[in-house]
Order: sequence, then structure tokens, then C-alpha cells
Amino acid sequence: MKYAIEVRGLVKAFGEVRALDGVHLAAAPGTVLGVLGPNGAGKTTAVRILSTLTTADAGTARVLGHDVAAEAGKVRERIGLTGQYAGLDPALSGEQNLMLIARLLGASRRQARQRAHELIERFDLAHAAGRAADKYSGGMRRRLDLAASIVRRPEVLFLDEPTTGLDPKSRGGLWDIVRELVAEGTTVLLTTQYLEEADQLADSIAVIDTGKVIASGTPSQLKQTVGGQVLRLSPARPESLGQLAQLADWAIGAQSRQEDGDLVVPVAHAGEAQAVMARVGQAGIDLTGFGLHEPTLDEVFLTLTGHTAETKQKELAA
Amino acid sequence: MTTATTTWTTTRGPLAQAASMTARSLASIRHQPAQLIEFFMIPLMILLSITFFMGGQMMGSWKDFLQYAGPTIIAMGLFFAITATGLGLYGDIKEGVFDRLTAMPVSRFALLAGRIAADMVKHTWALLVVGGVAFAIGYRSDGGVLGTAGAALALLLFLFAASWTMALVGLTAKSEEQIQTWMISLLMPLAYTSTIFIEKDTLPGPVQWWASANPLTALADTMRMFLSGGTPGSETLALLAWCAAILAVFVPLSLRAYRRKLTS
Repeated sequence: MKYAIEVRGLVKAFGEVRALDGVHLAAAPGTVLGVLGPNGAGKTTAVRILSTLTTADAGTARVLGHDVAAEAGKVRERIGLTGQYAGLDPALSGEQNLMLIARLLGASRRQARQRAHELIERFDLAHAAGRAADKYSGGMRRRLDLAASIVRRPEVLFLDEPTTGLDPKSRGGLWDIVRELVAEGTTVLLTTQYLEEADQLADSIAVIDTGKVIASGTPSQLKQTVGGQVLRLSPARPESLGQLAQLADWAIGAQSRQEDGDLVVPVAHAGEAQAVMARVGQAGIDLTGFGLHEPTLDEVFLTLTGHTAETKQKELAA
Repeated sequence: MTTATTTWTTTRGPLAQAASMTARSLASIRHQPAQLIEFFMIPLMILLSITFFMGGQMMGSWKDFLQYAGPTIIAMGLFFAITATGLGLYGDIKEGVFDRLTAMPVSRFALLAGRIAADMVKHTWALLVVGGVAFAIGYRSDGGVLGTAGAALALLLFLFAASWTMALVGLTAKSEEQIQTWMISLLMPLAYTSTIFIEKDTLPGPVQWWASANPLTALADTMRMFLSGGTPGSETLALLAWCAAILAVFVPLSLRAYRRKLTS
């Protein structure tokens, strides 16, 4: 089996809206596939189909070689799911939640208690094991939710926006847990709207927008698709920005853009950057700083989706 | 694939899974023991208010009324309480915990039956308390221990079957208000056109026909038969037939509604 997760031409429509419009995805065993996209891109629908919670209108989806529609039972035996909304019983304590899952999966009472204790220790929840889940903080609830999805050590784990709404410290803690699970051999499909999260965790990334995969590859491949490197110039006086853009155009014919009072110039290689800098030096424009760097995933996303930074921020806030 | 899979002997079938779900539904009582009182408040208040405030006018003395209609009014109060099954399932689905359970290799029947079994435990508790109050204020069964047990079992069997109709309501409702509306607009007319309160002969002609067919009439007549020390007859057969028919229709419909709600 080459892929633990293999999705071809997946289509799912809700009335007029095509939530998924021919999506292809693939994840090799033991790797993390990051599915990156804004709200409403179709990420959750893809996870729901892969975890047998809904069926596709067209296309195929296989998990560990099993078709998710025809062999849903076999898929359910081997996956774990942490949905976007906590899949916990709010009235049960953390320990009771984990024991219920273990019992439903066939553990004896003693085995269930033992596994619940292991997970509670591992996820740093010992101080709240007896407290009702609805009294947990956001970060604790997420950890308990993740613990509940690995009660039987799934071979494939689906995480639908696992850190949305978490503070940076809780987010980092969750990332560490995901890395541990992957080190133990679990294949993970993770959806996120945080570019940093995909960059941190994913071996390969699929960028998805309005139901279509618009780019895929390793994080560094994706950065290359935006075009080599980026030269960032910070002029001492904002009114020089127009002149700088003109110089960049003359020097290498680059389509530059303004961002946060800087001029961002895509360049194919360091030589082009040098040529631009030479022109700037001749013109005698004062700079407070400049730098040559790989494009960030933010920049990749903007280039690929055409969404402006502003609408993206609105989506992130929503 | 190097993942170490935890192997638990999965000899636990759907019934064992349902038992786990039942325990889960009852676990919240430990966090909120006041629920133990809430379970019997509605049937208790229905019994007391109808007996004391209306009974005298209906039959001359509230004691005679209690003796005639007490047990069946308890049955009506508990019948209204089956709404809890609909509201409970609706809440479960809204919480997201059922998404996780649905993505697990767990019997769908167990998930629904577990909730209903938990509600049956609550109904049994309420029946014990309210039945005890009826005894305390003067109700006496002519059927002895066996007859009383027979009446109680008939009631619980009917509640079990009827709960599956509420499971379907809970799985298809769009809001909690909708479930309450269904309760008032279906359960109440059903209760008032049966022999729970009244004798069939006092009803107008066409309603009399319906009252004979009404499942609650079969229940009320069966309970009265047991409580008066009679032997089971056509009314008991009618009740059993109703329960079997309700289960045969509403268990598959509920399972289908579950699939539609959670996996489509």
C-alpha cells in the first residue's frame, strides 16, 4: 500500500454549493498531510467523508486501502477523529469520557481504566481527571478530545482544525503531541487555516480553496512555486516607494508590491536582487533595511488564492 | 505501518455497548443528584393536582377518583415524560459526542437503545416514587402484589415502545421547541381520547371508535385489569400488539433517521 490516505476526484455538493469539487489528496504511511485553506474551503467536508461521517457524490476515497463508502466498518476500526467541535460528553469527567470510548471499543473495565490513566498522564490532565469535561479550559478540552481519538491507537488520525481558538502555548503543546504520535508511526491528516501550523507539522501540504486543491507539495516546494525568493526593501521615507518600484521594474522587469510600508520584489535568484540593489544605490535612495528570503506560506497562499490579506484576516477572525 | 494497535477482545456485542451508553447517560446523576427529584416531579404533580382539584368534581369524592384513575394518571404523567428521550438524543447530537461515536466501530442500535434504556431506568424510579405516594394517600390495589407488578410491567413495556417514537422525533427535529410542540400536540390528545380518565361510554360516537383503537386505552384497560385482580384478555393482547407494531415501525425508522442525520 503506497498511501495511507488516497483521495481521487472527490465531489460533494450541498444544494447549489459544491463543497468539494474534484479533490485529490494523498498521504504516505507515517506522514502528516496538511490541508490548508480558509473557512468554507471544504476542509471539514473532506474530513467527514474520510472518517465515514458523510458520503461523497462522486470520486473515491481510500483509507489504509479500504474504500470509505463500501468498507466504512473496516475504516472505523482503524481511524481516530478529532472534529472541529469537541466530541466529548460534557457531563462526564475526563476519565469517564476516555473510559466510555475504551469500553465501547471492547476493553474490559480494568483495561479501560488503565488506558484512561495512561492517556490522562500523557496529556497532562491528571489534576482534572475527575472534573466534568464542560468545566475544562479550551486547551484542556482539546487535549482530552485528542486523547479520546487515540484511545485505541489509530493508524490514521484525522484532526480537523485542532488548534483553532487556542493560545500559542496550548497550540505548541498540541503540536508536540501530534509529533509524538507521528514518531510512533501514525499517519495524520490535519486541516488548518494557520499557515505556520502546516509549515510546522506537515510533510506535505494541499492548499484547498472553494472545494479545489489549488496547489500541493512539500512546504519548500510550495514556497518555490511563488517564484524563487523575495527581496524586501524598507525605504527611510514612504514617498520613495513608487520610485523604488520603478527601479525594480527597470532593473529586472519585476512586478513588485507594497506591504507594510515595504516594497516586496520577487526575484528568480540572488543576481537579480543584486541588480536591483545596484540601481537603488545609484539613485541614492535611503533604506532603513533590506533582506532576501524564502517566501512565507502566507505569501504562497496569497499568490495561489488571489485573496487579499484583508479578506484572509477577516476569515481568520471569523 | 509500525503503529502498535491496542487489541482488546471485542466480545462485547451491541447489548454490552448499549449498557455502556446507558451507564454514560445515567452518570450525570452523580454530578447533579437533584435530577433524582426532577424525574418524578411532573408525574407526581399531575397525579396530585388532578386527583385533589378535579377528582372530587368528576366522581364526587377524590378518594373514589384516585381509586378509579390514580394508576392510569400516573401512566399518563410518565407517558408525557418520554419526551425526555427526544430531547436527550437531540442534545447528544448537538454536542458533537455522537460524531465521534459514529466514526467508531459501534452499533448504531446500541447508541439509541442505550439512551432509551437509561430513560427507562428513570421512568422506573419515577413510577416507584409516585406509586408510593398514591399508596400513601390511600390508593389500594385489588390485584395484590402480582397484579400491581403486572400493571407496572405493562406500563414500562408501553413506555419502552413509545420511547422509540420520541427517538425518531429527537433525530429529525430541527429544534428543542419543535420537540416540545410535538409532545403537546400528539401526546395530549392521545391521552385525553383514551380511557385514562374517563369511561368510553361518556364519549361522543366517532371519538368512541377512536378511543377503542387508542393504544393508551389498551394500556389503561390492561392496567385496570391487573389492578382489579383479573386475568389477561383481549386488552392485554391489544397492548402487546401495539407495542410490537410500534417497535417494528419506529426502531428501523429511528435507525434510518440516525444514518441520515449523522452520516450523510
